[in-house]
Amino acid sequence: MFFMKKIVKLLCMALLASTFTACDLLDIHPYAVKINGERDINATNIKEIETSCRDKDSIRFVVTGDSQRWYDETEDFVKAVNSRNDIDFVIHGGDVSDFGMTDEFEWQRDILNGLDVPYIVIIGNHDCIGNGKRTFKKIFGQLNFSFIANRVKFICLNTNSMEFDYSEPIPDFTFIEDELTNRQTEFDKTVFCMHARPLSEQFNNNDAKPFEYYVNLFPKVQFCTAAHDHRITAEAIFKDGVMYYGSDCMMNRNYLLFTIKADGYEYEVVPF
Amino acid sequence: MKLFHSKYLLVLLLTVFSCSIFAQESHYDRRIHRYRKHWEAMIPTQSTVQMYGNMGLVSIGMGWDYGHKKQWETDLLFGLLPPYSSGKTHLTMTLKQNFIPWSISLNSTWAIEPLSCGIYLNTVYGPEFWTRQPERYPKGYYTFPSRVRANVYIGQRVVIHTPVEKRWFAKEIAVFYELSTSYLYLASAVGNKYLKPRDYISLSFGLKFQLF
Repeated sequence: MFFMKKIVKLLCMALLASTFTACDLLDIHPYAVKINGERDINATNIKEIETSCRDKDSIRFVVTGDSQRWYDETEDFVKAVNSRNDIDFVIHGGDVSDFGMTDEFEWQRDILNGLDVPYIVIIGNHDCIGNGKRTFKKIFGQLNFSFIANRVKFICLNTNSMEFDYSEPIPDFTFIEDELTNRQTEFDKTVFCMHARPLSEQFNNNDAKPFEYYVNLFPKVQFCTAAHDHRITAEAIFKDGVMYYGSDCMMNRNYLLFTIKADGYEYEVVPF
Repeated sequence: MKLFHSKYLLVLLLTVFSCSIFAQESHYDRRIHRYRKHWEAMIPTQSTVQMYGNMGLVSIGMGWDYGHKKQWETDLLFGLLPPYSSGKTHLTMTLKQNFIPWSISLNSTWAIEPLSCGIYLNTVYGPEFWTRQPERYPKGYYTFPSRVRANVYIGQRVVIHTPVEKRWFAKEIAVFYELSTSYLYLASAVGNKYLKPRDYISLSFGLKFQLF
């Protein structure tokens, strides 16, 4: 009896010690999707963006992406954006994680939460690995979503067809079509944002042409933004006048800066 | 004298007879003995319950100890990964190799094993995880398998020898803890000051029951 008591005592001590002093160390599994901290980042930040950008003359926003495993560089990026006061919001083009591990999403969220301006994150192909897409949905939100900043509609799309083995419609043309009429009176310009651009190996390229068709149905398409290629790109992929701007990876320490004014837009690559 | 002779003869006869039986069955006996010995070596000598350590919330399994001082152990554990926010429960399997170089006996009941170390491979079951990259990807698209991970650990154990009169299940019970990391975490930590040891090191603990 005395012996059993000793074991129970030892176990209780181990349990107590671990509960109070080492919660961070008790990792269940890399793909546990046991989320600590803030969720639904995109929904919260979209409200903020829509409110702060209403009735402005122009909007200025940063496009970045592919920050997987470059935590120090992402911290420097946050500092660089915070050091200026002319930015309305940040669009992260996806790949916050490299392996789809739950921890990776939390680490990147915690760093990006340091931004003084609201940010949104689009899903990248690496974010889909393992249980990654489930974690992404909980921490950041829906895989296809849109918001309106100063009468510009931003349509953010999941374009990682290969990650879903073509089992889901990606890009989702039903979603895109609905966006034509959804809040129709509130916008008169459009920007498309995605992780993998059309004709990339990740995109379902059987849908590339229909994608171009749908994009051109929208009012005053300004340009499209993408990430994924880990280099700066600027190309009218379909030679139809719609530019696709690709952001670099975080390691290369630069971001894209866009200003949409009443009479057009400006584009700049800013090193940090 | 005659009586003695006949007794002697009887003993001699019996000895020869028994020897001849032994000689006749010795090959078979040896064979069966070997056969049993080999299969008996596969009877697990220990069972383990372990919590956390990137192998599931709780893992249960069995293992074998071997070596000159029983300093080597191999465990096969099955773990449970509760659904949490993923909405899906997953089963995991862990193959674990332990090395326990020293065991310091304090008295007839208590012993300390100041170092245990080893590696373990953990696999998680579910269609969203793969070991070999699915064919839809270009060659070498991802450089790591999402299903299997190698972990390394170091830890310590306290061993309790159960008193013979109170023994009902196990000869020894070891309480242990381990600090581990996997290569996915190491790959994340390398080149980043942002990640601290608490981010990439995991604590796990458990009980090992030495059955015999």
